[in-house]
Amino acid sequence: MFENLDIFRMSHAMATHAGNRQALVAQNMANADTPGYAARDLSPFQEVYRSDDAPHLPRATRPGHLFGQGQTAAFEPHLVSGAQSDPNGNSVSIETEMLRAVDVKRQHDRAIAIYRSSLTVLRTALGRG
Amino acid sequence: MNDFSNALSVSASGLKAQAQRLSHVSENIANADTPGYRRKVVAFETELHGLRATGEVATGPVRLDRSDLSRIYEPGHPLADATGHYEGSNVDLMIEIADAREAQRSYEANLKMFDQARQMSSRLMELLRR
Repeated sequence: MFENLDIFRMSHAMATHAGNRQALVAQNMANADTPGYAARDLSPFQEVYRSDDAPHLPRATRPGHLFGQGQTAAFEPHLVSGAQSDPNGNSVSIETEMLRAVDVKRQHDRAIAIYRSSLTVLRTALGRG
Repeated sequence: MNDFSNALSVSASGLKAQAQRLSHVSENIANADTPGYRRKVVAFETELHGLRATGEVATGPVRLDRSDLSRIYEPGHPLADATGHYEGSNVDLMIEIADAREAQRSYEANLKMFDQARQMSSRLMELLRR
């Protein structure tokens, strides 16, 4: 039932995006000294969500519709371009990753705050707030 | 949830790799005055599960630094040859200290990521509570 409410769906997608991005940041950090490793990242949530839900684009309503492209719920990681790499081919910068991590944490907190407050509204409507 | 457990295990692998690097650095420093000791170096590589890279990091095989040993002049030394020299180690303390610092920084960064993933998942769990 909650999946059908738009705000729950959006905050769920936002938290999922933050979780995915956190996994990538952790991976980049762990490989900060691996030779030849290229840093990975996700596109910002605003871009991903808009492109998925823009009103002028056709939307897949069931699996198999529009070649199943509506089912790509997982966010696709891409290699970070334009990053300077070390002599051993590693392009992870710990400082950038730290900034990204803070960004991810704030996004996740925001998503959970939205979810929680919508839940409170729902509870109030049910008369048990 | 799967992402968080993945992030936790990747961070843990990073912590483990850096700790191993640090232990080799301390071995090198401890043996800086051992005659004939060659410094140990480890390289990092991405761990593979089957053929798929999980993003976890592992230390590669330990290798010995092949650079020349330092020759120390001390005629009274038991290992000294006819010219009065003996071979010391090829450990450069400056390099080892720098390596240790780098390992420490990376360790801290991984620890921070571990802590953050833990915090995020516990915030998620708090949603279940009233």
